[in-house]
Amino acid sequence: MGKASEVLSRQKGEKRFLLSSNTILFIFLIVMVAAFAVLSRDFYSIYNITSMLTNIAFSGIVAGTLTLVMIMGGLDISIGGNIALTSCLVAYLYNLEKGPHIGLIILIALALGATIGSFNGFVITRLDLNPIITTLGTMAITRGMGYVLTKSRSILILENVVGFIGRGTIAKMPFPLILFIVVYAALTIVMTKAKFGRKIYCIGANQEAAKLSGINIRKVKFITYLISGIAASISGLILTGQSAVGMPQHATGSELDVITAVLLGGTSLAGGKGNILGTLAGVLILGVLYNGFTMIGFRYVHIRVFQGVILILVVSLYEVREKRSY
Amino acid sequence: MADTTAPMEGERRVTFKEKLAEIFIYGKSMVPALLVLLFILVVLFGAVTPYFFTYTNFKAIISNIPIIAIMAVGMTFVILVGGLDISVGSVLGFTAVNVALFHHMGFPAWSIILVCLGIGALFGSFNGVIITKVGVNPVITTLGTMALARGMASWFALDIESLKLGRIFDQNFLLIARRYFPKEAQLIPITFIYVIVLYVVMSLVLKYTRYGRSVYAVGSNEYAARLAGIDTSRIKFSAYVMSGIMASLAGMILVAQLSLGRDDAGLGSELEVITAVVLGGVSLAGGKGNLLGVIISVLILGVIRNGMVHLQETIGISYYWREVVKGAILILAISIDAARLMAIKKRQVVRQ
Repeated sequence: MGKASEVLSRQKGEKRFLLSSNTILFIFLIVMVAAFAVLSRDFYSIYNITSMLTNIAFSGIVAGTLTLVMIMGGLDISIGGNIALTSCLVAYLYNLEKGPHIGLIILIALALGATIGSFNGFVITRLDLNPIITTLGTMAITRGMGYVLTKSRSILILENVVGFIGRGTIAKMPFPLILFIVVYAALTIVMTKAKFGRKIYCIGANQEAAKLSGINIRKVKFITYLISGIAASISGLILTGQSAVGMPQHATGSELDVITAVLLGGTSLAGGKGNILGTLAGVLILGVLYNGFTMIGFRYVHIRVFQGVILILVVSLYEVREKRSY
Repeated sequence: MADTTAPMEGERRVTFKEKLAEIFIYGKSMVPALLVLLFILVVLFGAVTPYFFTYTNFKAIISNIPIIAIMAVGMTFVILVGGLDISVGSVLGFTAVNVALFHHMGFPAWSIILVCLGIGALFGSFNGVIITKVGVNPVITTLGTMALARGMASWFALDIESLKLGRIFDQNFLLIARRYFPKEAQLIPITFIYVIVLYVVMSLVLKYTRYGRSVYAVGSNEYAARLAGIDTSRIKFSAYVMSGIMASLAGMILVAQLSLGRDDAGLGSELEVITAVVLGGVSLAGGKGNLLGVIISVLILGVIRNGMVHLQETIGISYYWREVVKGAILILAISIDAARLMAIKKRQVVRQ
């Protein structure tokens, strides 16, 4: 993208200096952090930064895998419902009288995410359905099953063993943050070095061409949705650990946060474009924004409005930039 | 038995099975299939509980559907032009809060209605401008508007909490949803009459006016429509405005029914509206479908919602399954749509 536009502007005889979108995003991030540090004393404290990063890890992991889905030209709106159902299931199993061992519960939770992901993948690839509507349906199904399982109540986890996943530390590093870093490192390697990543870009850029060049589209798509499902259940475990409660209202609207972060990072909904580093910037910017505005004294509902405005504004800017570069 | 009507050579007799396939699979509209589904559901729920067939219950069903039915009209226009509007539920919520706010400021009913229709039109035009002028994907745009409108609803509602949760007492306003048609007999709620009028008028608009034909043209092939001299951006823009206005209309009716304007009104209703429209045979690809199918599928969803309550009372199936059923029906509806398209395409290839 960047190179192509440089060539074009050189052909027109213009000398235009185009920053890459990632550089702009990180500059913006630094400016924002500096601004909040000036505006609020509590923002720049070790306690706040740790809690902010832990919160970012929760939505960041799903944002990372959603980037893969969106680069491929798909979308997964079912993540929020998946997270809620995972937390409900974990709490439900944990409170059974002869409940399974905690290790087994975690495995079951991951298997649940894998099942939801493969259901999405199967229906979307086999019947060639619109991914948005399909996962909108899965969202209702998963959240609804959360309501059925808990009878719309919150289930507490008293002796919190899952807590380690949400609140534990290894060498003073919060465990979710370690998970977050591992996931991003793995995804970056997959998207830049592995064949699988190339295939995802290929399908997103031109599905017909990808098919003709011998890529098994169904398989790649299926695996991508599967990964997205598993990541959601990991996030569900983190959330359950942090809150020590399983409830069907968990993570309501989190799909919006996650999609906003990915779009902010420069991944287009049309597919074929985007990268993990951009999403990382998007996730950090949104996290800082939420935390910072709360610190200055805004309420959740105000930030929600800003978020809608930011989403539309940023995507419009990308659209305008794209039109200019041609 | 002697076969007296033996088929001529080269002419096959059409079997019953093929006739069925002709209607349900290759037929132009989903209406026959939907009617069969509605019939099966009614019989099923009727068999489970005798209360289902009482007039009181019938009235409960038809006074519940107008909210979804009205929003479905706007959504049909948007999906027909090849778009999608996820913001309708939030626009409904924002309208509900505004009704409460203006009511407490002491505005008369007619001015509240005008202002709220204006709010819907404003959100619709905002969506329309971003989608047609800037060229942003409709799903993303309306996802943003969804957060924006719901956030603003909660923001404005912060003040209402002190005003007893947005209770509405203005009789003139409440009467927009609380009249019955034959005034003495109280047979049909007025909201249902709104729905019938709206669907008849909009069906006629879609079928017989220049504007309606342009909506179909833009949805089936935008490029061709532009070459034919249709202002495609304007048609698309109008569809989003229509969707916004319908959402605020539904919001006002909901407030009048509940006499309550809260910021969580219509939360998640976009899902039900999209389900109704898609189940009604309006193709997500645009340019295909009609309002007759949509109203039947709205009825189907209403019957399911009502029947689930009875199921809980009689057999003890938890009412919480309704969300699961809703999601499953949505996926089923688009699967059927996709399978039908595949079958039709296959037959075209074979015939060629």
